[in-house]
Amino acid sequence: MDTKGANRVHSGLDRDVRRTELPKVMIVDDDQDLLAGQKAFLEGRGYQVETASSSAEGLAKLQGFVPDIILADLMMEHYDTGFVFCKKVKDDPRLAAVPIIMQTSAPKELGFTLDAYNERARKWMKVDEILTKPVPLEDLVGKIEQHLAR
Amino acid sequence: MEQRIRVIVIDDEEGMREGMRRTLEKQGYPVDLAEDGESAIRLLKASAYGLALVDLKMPGIDGFEVTRYINEHAEGTVVVIVSALATVEAAVEVTRHGAFDFLAKPFTPKDLLRVVERAVRQQALLADRQQFLTELASERNLSRQLINSMHEGVIVLNLHRAPVLMNPTAEGFLGVSYREDLSLAELTLSPDVLAAVEGVLGGAGESPRTLRERSGERMLEFLATPYLRGEEKVGAILILNDVTLEWQAEQEKSRFIAMVAHELKSPLAAILNYVNIILTGMFDQQPEKIHEMMGRSKIRGEALLDLIRDLLYLNQREAGKIEKTLERLELKEVLTGQLEFFRVQAERSKINLRLEADGASYPVLADRKDLDRIFMNLISNGIKYNRENGELTVRLAASDGTVRVEVSDTGIGMTPEDMKNLFQDFYRIKNPLTSGIPGTGLGLATVKRVTAECHGELSVRSEPELGTTFTVTLPRA
Repeated sequence: MDTKGANRVHSGLDRDVRRTELPKVMIVDDDQDLLAGQKAFLEGRGYQVETASSSAEGLAKLQGFVPDIILADLMMEHYDTGFVFCKKVKDDPRLAAVPIIMQTSAPKELGFTLDAYNERARKWMKVDEILTKPVPLEDLVGKIEQHLAR
Repeated sequence: MEQRIRVIVIDDEEGMREGMRRTLEKQGYPVDLAEDGESAIRLLKASAYGLALVDLKMPGIDGFEVTRYINEHAEGTVVVIVSALATVEAAVEVTRHGAFDFLAKPFTPKDLLRVVERAVRQQALLADRQQFLTELASERNLSRQLINSMHEGVIVLNLHRAPVLMNPTAEGFLGVSYREDLSLAELTLSPDVLAAVEGVLGGAGESPRTLRERSGERMLEFLATPYLRGEEKVGAILILNDVTLEWQAEQEKSRFIAMVAHELKSPLAAILNYVNIILTGMFDQQPEKIHEMMGRSKIRGEALLDLIRDLLYLNQREAGKIEKTLERLELKEVLTGQLEFFRVQAERSKINLRLEADGASYPVLADRKDLDRIFMNLISNGIKYNRENGELTVRLAASDGTVRVEVSDTGIGMTPEDMKNLFQDFYRIKNPLTSGIPGTGLGLATVKRVTAECHGELSVRSEPELGTTFTVTLPRA
């Protein structure tokens, strides 16, 4: 059995423990299970996690605090809700510096959400990263750490 | 033997008239005689002649005037002047007046027949030309009519890039009316289309290709081809095709496929996410947490299975592979059976199921599986979106040849905004109240389709926090 994952869990925890304050992650996703799963996992890995199941709920919660990073779903109420959400976050000077990782099940092959994978569109939307669901957990942590380090 | 043309002999000398008649009748020509200009015109009005032999010098209306009359009113008639004024000047003069030939008096029967035969050949040419012109005119008229009634837009440009023809369809597509001084710029064609036109006119020998361009609400297809007269290129023809419906269908299809892919991936992503978390071992000391994740994975897996089943059903239905057996069914019995099916689930969710029917019989002619699709979906929704200790009432009523079924719940209800896309494929209302409720987003879209196929109607009314009522109206058997 692969023990690398387990090792990394411990190394992650060790590293997180050394932090003076736990990094705050905000997850916005309309899939309750994805939200619950990622919250449980990330909390286990030493992050403080806040969740929202809609763009509106996410924006409302962001009025109260500034996370260190945001994970947002693309297709929520509408197929581009995630983009609109990101745009609103980045347009808010208070939140503009918060990196956003977008997670989506939308298939890029179909051209329907083509713009999500288009470099120019991504820059305009100011989405820092786009990951295709299901995102392997270690990749997720890796990407989060990469953006937090910047 | 070929048909002899009809001849009119116009001469004031009886001897001349009779002499010519004898000669001509011997050759089989039907001949009429006129002794002066007036009677000649009377005869010309009454019947058509292939040849007129006209004496120039007559009292009253003379030969020149008769010739002019013939040229103006009897185009198919060849005129030969018969006169003693046998000078070159006179010959030129009569030809100038529209006569074909000149016969000098005195003449032998042979002279006459030679001139007549020449005139007959001329008449045949004239008749052909007349026929040709008539045909050409009607041909042009036909082409014009064809072009004007075409479903495709047609624009013809000359070498100076000026539109010289535009049919009503093209006018409609581009919102421009044709006039003689219309310029190409006024058609506001896209740079690509203009480039295609230039390609045709510039003679680069490019093979024509179709271009798709948005034009307001429409999607148009443009095809530029050379306008040839014989081998010579004299302009360009632009054919415009309205492909809006086709384009919309393509869009709709790719949207549907993208939605399907998304909806299939979402539950799998959630399940794999749980599995991956469990596999990290981070919750090995918290079995209740693992149990919860497994429980949710099971629910999502089942929902995924439902979705695949619905999709396959939808696909079969669309491909016309669903066989229907229409039978006279008693809707009251069908609904009782369906409610019974949901009894256990309703009890678990603490929902009270009721059937209200004031009449005894509600017969419909339908396929049983269609009725299941419609009402099982509606009843299932009525339970899922209800609240604890809520009610689900199925109400039956009959009127004017229809049977009406209301499926009414006391659930969370919907706002007008929520209901806008209610019957769209994969549409699910997403808010904290609905977030834990599994569904494919295909149920109501299917209900809508099937109801329409059963020649029925579906409507909905709802009040947030109070509940929702779906009404299905079907023709009474």
